[in-house]
Amino acid sequence: MTHARAILWAQWRTMRNFYPRGGVAVTAVVGLIWYGLWAAASVVAARALADPAAVERLLPALPSGFLLVMLYWQVVPLLMAATGASLDIRKLRAYPIPVHQLFGIEALLRATAGIEMLALLLGATVGVILSPALPAWRALGIVVFAVFNLLLAVGLRDLAARVLAYRRVREILVFVLVLCAGLPQLFLALSRRNGPPEPGPGLRSAVSGAFAAGESWAGWPWTATAGFVAGHHALAQAAILAAWCAGGLAFGWWQFTSSLKFDAEAAGARLEQTSERTSFLDRLYRLPGLLFGDPLAALMEKEIRLLARSPRFRLVFMMGFTFGMVVWLPLAMSRRGLTQEFLGTHYLTAVSVYSLLLLSEVCFWNSFGFDRSAAQFYFLAPIPFSSVLKAKNLSAVCFIALEIGLITAVCAMLGMPLDPAKMSEAYAVAAVMTILLLCAGNLLSVHMARGVNPDSSFRTTAAGRIQAMLFMIYPLAFLPPALAYLARYAFVSQWAFFGVLAFDAAAGLIAYKIALDSAAQAAQRIRESMLEALARGDGPIAG
Amino acid sequence: MTDVSPAIEVRDLRKVYGDKAAVDGLSLTVPQGCFFGFLGPNGAGKTTTIKMLMGLAPPTSGSIRLLGLPMPEQALQIKQSIGLVPDESLLFDHLTGGEFIEFVGRIYGLDRPTARSRAGELLALFELDAAPKKLISEYSKGMRKRAAMAAALIHRPQLYLMDEPFEGVDAVGARLMKDILLEQVRHGATIFLTSHVLEVVERLCERVAIIHEGRLIREGTMAELRSTAGTLENAFVQALGVEYGAATLDWL
Repeated sequence: MTHARAILWAQWRTMRNFYPRGGVAVTAVVGLIWYGLWAAASVVAARALADPAAVERLLPALPSGFLLVMLYWQVVPLLMAATGASLDIRKLRAYPIPVHQLFGIEALLRATAGIEMLALLLGATVGVILSPALPAWRALGIVVFAVFNLLLAVGLRDLAARVLAYRRVREILVFVLVLCAGLPQLFLALSRRNGPPEPGPGLRSAVSGAFAAGESWAGWPWTATAGFVAGHHALAQAAILAAWCAGGLAFGWWQFTSSLKFDAEAAGARLEQTSERTSFLDRLYRLPGLLFGDPLAALMEKEIRLLARSPRFRLVFMMGFTFGMVVWLPLAMSRRGLTQEFLGTHYLTAVSVYSLLLLSEVCFWNSFGFDRSAAQFYFLAPIPFSSVLKAKNLSAVCFIALEIGLITAVCAMLGMPLDPAKMSEAYAVAAVMTILLLCAGNLLSVHMARGVNPDSSFRTTAAGRIQAMLFMIYPLAFLPPALAYLARYAFVSQWAFFGVLAFDAAAGLIAYKIALDSAAQAAQRIRESMLEALARGDGPIAG
Repeated sequence: MTDVSPAIEVRDLRKVYGDKAAVDGLSLTVPQGCFFGFLGPNGAGKTTTIKMLMGLAPPTSGSIRLLGLPMPEQALQIKQSIGLVPDESLLFDHLTGGEFIEFVGRIYGLDRPTARSRAGELLALFELDAAPKKLISEYSKGMRKRAAMAAALIHRPQLYLMDEPFEGVDAVGARLMKDILLEQVRHGATIFLTSHVLEVVERLCERVAIIHEGRLIREGTMAELRSTAGTLENAFVQALGVEYGAATLDWL
């Protein structure tokens, strides 16, 4: 118990320290509101189940309720591990703690991570105990369900932690997760397009269909729990629940002990052996050397290598031509409304602009964030700082061109309407926006530099102040292309459209030159604070 | 645990990553009460060895006995008597230095008031008490090493396993750490440390082993090494068989 108390205390301190310093009151208020809401939900659940009149109506909805509890419980701990708010139990291997105790502690930690659901289930348990319509012993079903979830969470977290230790796997998983978030609306749009139009309830019917499928088999843990509470074949449901619980224990123990034995370095070593594309990639990385002289070419090659090797960049780059398309496709395919009609005909432009926005975090706003140890070198090396910014901008342009090329290719594969006019429009709009975003990006990269971990696929470190700036910059960057569209609408002429865009580009290039010089001068002036800002955080030169 | 058993006894230890052996047939004996230096160039297998001794990485083959007990069979008893200064990744970044040291003390079975009081004393001793609310993630490299060292001392172990304990530590901090370690050895503790700083090893250690490409290439007392090569640096370079390449670079 001493170990458990010490570890739980450290977990509490970790969570407390994880929240921003100086904001204890804010954290307390937010915590109070958040857990207050869950406590209120718990009381509502208790009162509803304790009320004989309401319980009859509630019983049929219990399987869905337990399913939602289980989904929440299993997802939140994974997110907690990803953001660092969990104690990394593998670090405790070096200390004298028996494995079964570590397992017990891990299960307890999972309880702290899913405390909202525990509160909800506690309310439900109290409700069943107090209910005159239900025997009190049926609350045992909810307790067993909670234990099962706890054990399953241990297993899933350990499994996820091990799988995520493989770099490429981590990226692919995050990518699939992000992609999955956009898929439901795509499927709904496709079903609407193929079948008779159903006003309104598409999403509702899809979700209820999924839940109905989840409730159709009595052998699931959530249906068994609901069945046990309702008293349908209580003995059989108890056996099913016990079997799930035993399965959860076996799975949790198996995954936990596997994690303790897991050797991340060995996993990494195997990964390195599979890399056989080095020479081909190396030739690609050296392409800037054919077009530019040194030091610009050397800086560009270094920048392209850095970005291409950063999991965070690769994830965002992949999202540009996949997630972006998935997000916009339903709108473009819809048959009703002016907006949809516009998107249907300007799909390539819309997705290209969206991909620019996605890439902006890694290409524009914080171009020294990934590269913070090199930032010191740039100030020491005998090169003008403007060359560094130019190299970073040209590298970004290379990736943007590649991204938009891939988007065009995917559009062509999907059979989207593509013609030279549409492609010219998309490329011209993207080019103008890129120039404007580079202007703002250079200034922000110097004045609001912040360290980013390029190995972290999930995290975002944009501060509130920067986010606020971005809300202003994005509409401003889209204003010149919007004027071009206005000109085409007013004069019904493609010439007007491209004329305005050409003017925008020329004005943008002048603005770019001014912004570049200003950023380079500012970098020299504020280099100390810039380097200090880049050194903060959890990256390779932290501290 | 008997006093006559060696503090560390390693036989034919191997650790293979993929098709590369990081440690390849290492055999080593460290007597109790010895200040032992474990040297080698970068990538020689020092950290892998110390990780296996700490129980953080399972060996591919071979045997380890610490304080007379087999590892991992009696890992719990062994760990209870060991103080660790691991590499930085094993620190808890979201705890303050004081919280981390107290936590380690409690894990080693100290009661809470004792752990807290010792953590406070160690923080002061290692001069980490100036910013008590600073998180370990905000520490400099030297501060992280000092925090790790303080945590290793809290339960007064018999055997210390230290991976580059002086890395990044300033001269004053390093002096303090050396004095504390020598005092521990005088009280009968055994210290097994890896270090790149040969001067430190030369001044502190009684025995030294040199590992290269996972294999033990030299072992002996400091006096034995000095008698053949004059200084530890010479002995180290000779043992590795290094030939300076600079002479072959015409432009240099």
